Amino acid sequence: MMFERLIPHCPVLAVMTLFLGAFLTAIFGRSKAARRILLMLASLLSSFFMALLVKPVFFDGQIISYWMGNWAPRAGYAIGIGFEVDGLSLFFALLVSLTVLLSNLYSLRYIERDDCGDYYCTLALMLGGSVLSLVQTGDIFTMFVMIEIMTFACVALTAFRKRSEGALEAAFKYLIVGCIGSSLVLTGVILLYAQCHTLNMAQLSALLAGNLTPATVFAFALLLTGFGVKSYAVPFHFVAADAYMAAPSSVSMLFSGMVNKAGVYGVIRLCYIIMQSMRLPALQTLLVTLGTLSMFVGVTMALRQHDFKRLLAFHSISQIGYVLTALGLCTALGIAGGLYHAMNHTLFKGLLFLCAGAVWYAAGTTDLDRMGGLSKRMPQTCAIFLIAAFSISGLPPFNGFVSKWIIYQATFEKAAEGGGFGYIVVTVVALVTSVMTLASFIKVAQSVFFGQERPELAHVREVPLSMRIPMWILAVLCVVTGVAPGLVLTYVVAPATYAVTNVTGYINTMMGAGYAESVMTVPAQSIPVDASFAGYYSPVSWLILFAVLLLAFALVALLGKGSRGAVCQDDTGCDDKYAVFFGGERVTRSTVAGSDLFWGFRYNFRHYFRWMGNVHSGVVNDYAAWAVGAGAVIILYLYALL
Amino acid sequence: MFRNLIASSAAKSPWLFHINAGSCNGCDIELVALLTPRYDVERLGFKLAGTPRHADIVVVTGPVTAQSKDRVLRTISQVPEPRVIVTLGSCPCSGNVFKGSYSVVGPLDKYVPVDVAIAGCAPKPEAIIHGLAMATQILKEKKKGAKA
Amino acid sequence: MINWWILFYILIFPGFLFCLVAAFLLSGIDRKLVARMQKRIGPPILQNFYDFMKLMGKETIIPHEANRAVFLAAPVVGLLALVTVVLFIPIYRFSAFGGIADVVVILYLLTVPAVALIVGGAASGSPYAGVGISREMVAVLSYELPLVMVLLAIGKKVGLALGENAVTFSMANIAAYQNLFGPLIAKWSMIPAALAMLLVIPCEVGCHPFDVAEAETEICEGPLVEYSGAPLGIFKLNYYLKMFVMTALFTALFLGGRGTGYIALDALVFFLCCVCVTAVSMSLVRAVTARLKVEQVFKFYWTVVAGLALISLVLAWFGL
Repeated sequence: MMFERLIPHCPVLAVMTLFLGAFLTAIFGRSKAARRILLMLASLLSSFFMALLVKPVFFDGQIISYWMGNWAPRAGYAIGIGFEVDGLSLFFALLVSLTVLLSNLYSLRYIERDDCGDYYCTLALMLGGSVLSLVQTGDIFTMFVMIEIMTFACVALTAFRKRSEGALEAAFKYLIVGCIGSSLVLTGVILLYAQCHTLNMAQLSALLAGNLTPATVFAFALLLTGFGVKSYAVPFHFVAADAYMAAPSSVSMLFSGMVNKAGVYGVIRLCYIIMQSMRLPALQTLLVTLGTLSMFVGVTMALRQHDFKRLLAFHSISQIGYVLTALGLCTALGIAGGLYHAMNHTLFKGLLFLCAGAVWYAAGTTDLDRMGGLSKRMPQTCAIFLIAAFSISGLPPFNGFVSKWIIYQATFEKAAEGGGFGYIVVTVVALVTSVMTLASFIKVAQSVFFGQERPELAHVREVPLSMRIPMWILAVLCVVTGVAPGLVLTYVVAPATYAVTNVTGYINTMMGAGYAESVMTVPAQSIPVDASFAGYYSPVSWLILFAVLLLAFALVALLGKGSRGAVCQDDTGCDDKYAVFFGGERVTRSTVAGSDLFWGFRYNFRHYFRWMGNVHSGVVNDYAAWAVGAGAVIILYLYALL
Repeated sequence: MFRNLIASSAAKSPWLFHINAGSCNGCDIELVALLTPRYDVERLGFKLAGTPRHADIVVVTGPVTAQSKDRVLRTISQVPEPRVIVTLGSCPCSGNVFKGSYSVVGPLDKYVPVDVAIAGCAPKPEAIIHGLAMATQILKEKKKGAKA
Repeated sequence: MINWWILFYILIFPGFLFCLVAAFLLSGIDRKLVARMQKRIGPPILQNFYDFMKLMGKETIIPHEANRAVFLAAPVVGLLALVTVVLFIPIYRFSAFGGIADVVVILYLLTVPAVALIVGGAASGSPYAGVGISREMVAVLSYELPLVMVLLAIGKKVGLALGENAVTFSMANIAAYQNLFGPLIAKWSMIPAALAMLLVIPCEVGCHPFDVAEAETEICEGPLVEYSGAPLGIFKLNYYLKMFVMTALFTALFLGGRGTGYIALDALVFFLCCVCVTAVSMSLVRAVTARLKVEQVFKFYWTVVAGLALISLVLAWFGL
């Protein structure tokens, strides 16, 4: 096949296409047509290169390595910069490619009313390229550089709508907290280099195995905090809400679809492969605690929001909490569940942000209290939103259910296998969080798409086709990954899960066969790959049930059609019979405001919410203090217990 | 057979929606008295519905004041077919002691066809049950007539 | 041949036909029991069936504020989810599709009817429905915590007995455990969980002290305010089915056992157990209490009921 020789070059080509696209749009992007063509060309080509890697890495189980300038390691030391793509890297890289491609397609029309479209294209491509490179690189310093590029592209994109309220402020907050994260990562990298005299992750991994000196523990804590900041887990989550809300929706999709996945990727790479210390219960407890906190705080804060995008931002935090919790379990089931959920989160959260963008594009606002009844004006967006909302709330047969189901199994089994009663609490929190997620999306559905129509929104039209296509693609993917979990687990998640446990393979591919065995003082940790579940779930078989019953009901509906009354379509010629019942009065507008919808819940949690309101003060000093303070706690914790 | 079943079910499960068109509450209390253990109209399938959309029988009490007229008519129009309109007490069928008041625009049958009128101020519960039982038969006939 | 059995399971027993009959009977018995407890004669047992048939024959009004497709599809989706749940609940040793879903799946499928009610209500565009769906959602939030804890307690208890230091989410395992060791309610550590589950049932079903969402005297039946005719009939049917599904779930979780070996007899015993559970958890509570406020419901479930479930969970954790 003609692409065979291309395959080792694919990782770097995919990254370079995006960066090249960024530079070219900076030069030629003045013309609208040119920048559109460049944007789509770059993202399509890059996705194509990534797609080429699927067969060798996922199906054949290869690990692709690439040395820049062919600077392969000499005398056991890796000086050159290498790319190394194993199942884990490719898993995240594919998510990044998909997100970049769809977000760029969506943004063609979405940002047409803004000025500075050329800046947007340059920055979006740079952001894509940096994250794509971050998840594929085999060099920890390259990782840091990419984090820097990512952070600054994010800051600029957050401030893209600089005249809208809060955009510059959000960008400033992002800059401050993002820089704290980056500098922690940099310090960690320096400490590791001082210890091991190498920056190659494979070699670091081999040298650090079973070698936790005080200096490396310090470096570990710094890196962990740094990646934690990038994944917006709970004490670091404050800026995420502001940034996601202020950024254009296509960018918010990039943020939640790949930027916080980059943080998660960093955590996995660091804990499982570089430091190989996930088997330590102290570390598991730390990650699971962070994850559980994120789940609960994220979702309760989301219940209180009355802005569509801010609500979604808090849900991103909550869903990342699921991922971190699952990954912190250090069981095969947990890793698989966490990765599956990370993928699902990219799909449904991207979709939800695109829906928010569509609503903004059509109605000009994302404030839940100022919308209503859009489902008749935007039926497709409404249908897509419902699919996404059911996916994120984990209703069967959508994808969120599958991954959450695996995570419940994993946490519950962990509790049984000597994890302690705490893991039962985690399971309960995870299940309750899922219902609260449902509640807050019910709120969005009621406030935006259903409920009474607002007269000032009568002009609203469905969004253009080029915005609907990426939404439909994601919606279909949400259903497919929910209906065929067996296939997804076997062909996508299992290779990535295997890659997480295959430390020796990772080291040897980069450093030459036999290197790991000769250098490592203790053998690489092995996680028992045991895919036995505590329960059963097979969506395909009961989809058949659904189909049969649906058929039966279609017949009944057809029979009953004669007795249906006429439906009045237009608003003007209707008599009172088809108006909603309003106690006999003529209908006037009266709805429950979005933020008051779950009053019974909020009333009982009022002390908690008051406290949370004080914590989310909006002052960047506080946020920075939380990040630094949490970093200090993590350092002390790791010193005390590792 | 299916149609007969539906028609006879209609007679066995009449749900009431009660509208107060300016009543003195006397009849309203008598209507509620029907649900108590002594009379228990639930044994005949009667149930008070919370919204006109669920109702089969609309029970109107009161002399239809000017304020309430539009609201009563709007609510009655929102009841799905087949529906039966019952006036409870003397007020909605004659105006009773309020007849001639500047604020009374009744009786109700000036505006909508009334199927059953239960007279009395206030009617005895037995009379109300009798009237409602007649209403259920009218409901059944309406259902059959609609199908035929 | 196996395909025809699947059709039989879905459409006749224990699927569609069986659960419809059971649901109508059970809810009829419930109404009769409540009436007798209040010294009334009460409606005939088949009253709910008459109600349903009548609604099938009535006019369906779709308000012009409503989203037609969602408004009409919502009740059917809820019904399908409920029938699907019935297929997963084992009747003593018989189980139609026991091997392909577990309690977590059932837990999630049980939220689908609530979601259908909420989305249907929201799609009707009525302000009363707006209040109703908010209350319904808070009710779901309230009972979900104790329900989850009850299921985890059972999972731990059964897992410990069946395997070495294990847990289970499988309905089949729970049935097998009770087959071997007798009904779970007879284990003293599970009694608080059973009590909690009994209290969860009325809220899940939406019956009287906890029917905040459909309070007909204050918010005109909440989400159902605009429904009429056949869709309303299906929603009412969902309500009866929920009654059956929840009591059946309780029976399967706590009142399992050896069974007699004859499916027909087992089904009858199973149904009688459901009737008893209904009498205790719904009829009795419904006949003697007044409706709570929504924040009281939430508080009650997150403190008292969750506390009961927690006791069982801790006891099961220590192997009792």
